[in-house]
Amino acid sequence: MNYADFINLAINGLVEGLVMALPALALTLIYGLARFPNAATGDFVAVGGFGGFAAHQLTGSLIIAGLGGAAAGAAAALLAYWLAFRPVIRRSVITLMLTSIGVGFVYRSALGLAFGHEPKAFDMPLQRAMRFGDVSILPADISLAALTIAVLVAVFAILFWTPLGRSLRAIADDPDLARVSGIRKERSMLAMWTMAGVVCGIAGTVSGMRTVVYPDSGWNLLLPAFAAAVIGGLGNPVGAVIGAILLGVLQELATPFTGFVYKIAIGYVVMVIVLLVRPQGLFNRVQQVR
Amino acid sequence: MDTYLLTIAVIVGIYVLLSLSLDLQYGFTGLINFGLAGFFAVGAYTSALLTMRAGLSPLLSFPAAAILAALLAWPIGRVALRLRDDYLAIVTLGFSEIVRLVLVQEQWLTEGVRGIAGVPRLGAGWGNPRFSEFFLLGMLVLCIVLVILFLRRLTASPYGRTIQAIRDDETAVRVLGKEPAVFKTQILMLGGAIAGLAGAFYAHYMTYIVPDLFVPLVTFYIWMAIIMGGVARLSGAIVGAVILVFFTEGVRFLRGVIPGVSDAHMGSLQLGIVGLVLILFMRWRPQGVFGSRGAT
Amino acid sequence: MSGATQMSTRDISLSYGDFKVLQGVSFDVSLNGLHGMIGPNGAGKSTLFSVLSGLMKPDGGEIHFGDNSFGHTSPARRAQLGLGRTFQIPREFKHLTVRQNLMVGPRKQPGESLVELFLMPAKVRRFEEEVMARADQLIDFLKLRAVADKPAGGLSGGQKKLLELGRALMSEPSFILLDEPYAGVNPVLIEEISERIREINKERGIGFLIIEHNLMALNRLVTDLYVLDTGKLIAHGEPGAVLEHPQVRAAYMGAAA
Repeated sequence: MNYADFINLAINGLVEGLVMALPALALTLIYGLARFPNAATGDFVAVGGFGGFAAHQLTGSLIIAGLGGAAAGAAAALLAYWLAFRPVIRRSVITLMLTSIGVGFVYRSALGLAFGHEPKAFDMPLQRAMRFGDVSILPADISLAALTIAVLVAVFAILFWTPLGRSLRAIADDPDLARVSGIRKERSMLAMWTMAGVVCGIAGTVSGMRTVVYPDSGWNLLLPAFAAAVIGGLGNPVGAVIGAILLGVLQELATPFTGFVYKIAIGYVVMVIVLLVRPQGLFNRVQQVR
Repeated sequence: MDTYLLTIAVIVGIYVLLSLSLDLQYGFTGLINFGLAGFFAVGAYTSALLTMRAGLSPLLSFPAAAILAALLAWPIGRVALRLRDDYLAIVTLGFSEIVRLVLVQEQWLTEGVRGIAGVPRLGAGWGNPRFSEFFLLGMLVLCIVLVILFLRRLTASPYGRTIQAIRDDETAVRVLGKEPAVFKTQILMLGGAIAGLAGAFYAHYMTYIVPDLFVPLVTFYIWMAIIMGGVARLSGAIVGAVILVFFTEGVRFLRGVIPGVSDAHMGSLQLGIVGLVLILFMRWRPQGVFGSRGAT
Repeated sequence: MSGATQMSTRDISLSYGDFKVLQGVSFDVSLNGLHGMIGPNGAGKSTLFSVLSGLMKPDGGEIHFGDNSFGHTSPARRAQLGLGRTFQIPREFKHLTVRQNLMVGPRKQPGESLVELFLMPAKVRRFEEEVMARADQLIDFLKLRAVADKPAGGLSGGQKKLLELGRALMSEPSFILLDEPYAGVNPVLIEEISERIREINKERGIGFLIIEHNLMALNRLVTDLYVLDTGKLIAHGEPGAVLEHPQVRAAYMGAAA
């Protein structure tokens, strides 16, 4: 493997990692506030992807597609919160996890019934890769990466520079203290689920534009997203993003050695190693993991 | 018609074994195993391969299937059992997906996505195919009875008391001088063995196995079964398995009644119904149809 | 024959971020004595117990239990070495009956080993009968006969406290950390429990370190008292003397909690 191959893989990994950062971020936001790993996160992404696809089919505009995807993702998340999670939000983690499995199944089933299982591709204009010597980059990848970064920046801006974001982080850090200091939990929850949904929706649309959309696509990215979030430290937004990017690059660089099928296994192996060595994740302080 | 009933009986039997496995792990010990399908798969492929490639008799390949599945539980125990609930769930889920990846990738062993066809029927040499199906059912029932007797003794014993204590409050068990991880590993292995055994029966009944038969959906079918039946009750595992089959067969029946429903549609419908049932039961009736004796 | 051994700590410290929960806690208690610990709410008493029993890791300091040094020793191992503990908020096994809760207590039951359970049923049965007899004795003493076969989750707070104590006793430790054993317990029973603790201490040599807010009951029971305030030990001595100590009075009066 020569130098250029290495760069190509790394670039691809970076883009994939960026796209993975979105659901990982959503997972970690939901975990931070609602205190459970949401197994339907991947399916929010899939719904978003189909929303973007439908919007694109209707209007041909990529921008509308992005907005459509974001809206679909937000709708999926809010609907799931309102109908499924909110009634059981105080119950045990296992209750919430099983409910989220159920939600994911329902969404996946609905997508399958509505759109069928054939993968759908966006009608994207054909592109030539830009070449710098032996290193090639697709312009689409650049724009999509830029979009993803923009979304991440927006989310972090909200989290760190707005009162809403401060409330969200306060609740995630110490829910009892937050309640006592009068932070409006319900409003924060709705805002959080909306953000998580938008983030997932964009991820689905971006991923769909890069490859295809199909109903099971969400489930397939769930484990890598979990791995990224756990590696970064569940509940830590910065950790989730960095974890995802690291994982994306690592997976791509390892592909020549492990092949495509086992690429996914890498995330799992790294996650297990992290859980053994530093269970709170790379960026969290020690919390009760054991 | 009675071929259909026979099929149903075998499927119920296999679901019963899987439910007993999961109930032992979750209902009695509080282990959130989201990777049941992985143990099921290991059992199925082990018995299929040992009978077909190594010429072993099922009398040997079935126990081997159970043992191999149990052995795989051991590293999971080392890694995950000191972690909290939700992490255990994620790790076990990952385990079963990795198993599926291995089954797909290692074609030299497993034929990959093409699958293994021609898995020998039980008692094949003794009579006609109908006989061998009844024979399998008979063996399955025998195994179920033995497993239930074993589990009854186990759960009514001091061992059973301690694992339920671990389920209820692990920290309190620690300060009494008992190490929960030891028990949890043993239970994970025992449950794994029972699931592996179920896998062996499955392989020799279906006679054709592919990796896609062992997707996480199977795991959550069984979760649905034990929740509906009521956790921490052996009878609940049986009831749950029966209800589960009603659901899956009910969808199939619906398909016969409503025209124009394709295979893929039916698959989606089954998925959606399982999802809906999970959501509704967790909200309204987590203790199951007849009530549970454990944590929900 | 050496005198009674001790449990000692040196300089136990624990902080959560900037908040210092325990600071330089050092003490020695004889393993066959009756000792008390008091302090305002939030002083860190239960946290200290968690550190002693191994459920929390201190940032620094040493713990010695008899001849053993507790460094990285696991909670289960510390219990096996003889350290028992109850919790401020009871941790009953809520789906098990009261009797079953107690019967989980004894260490190293043959029925807890898969091998012995299936290969040595007679031995298992004999041990079970002994354990059940002891459990029944405790049930009578703790006046839990009426709820003996009810799930522990349905008990009242006071009953759960009693169960907590009973279960710790069933494990036959050499020293027990009791966290507020009297909270929520019927006053009539409190005196009986104190009497029983004295009895157990005298006859079996089991020592106790007792956190309590019920100063009257505690002072009649223990021979010496430690006072913990905002993570620091501020006094130690005979109950009467300690309570007269100005710093102690200030801690209790000053802390409006």
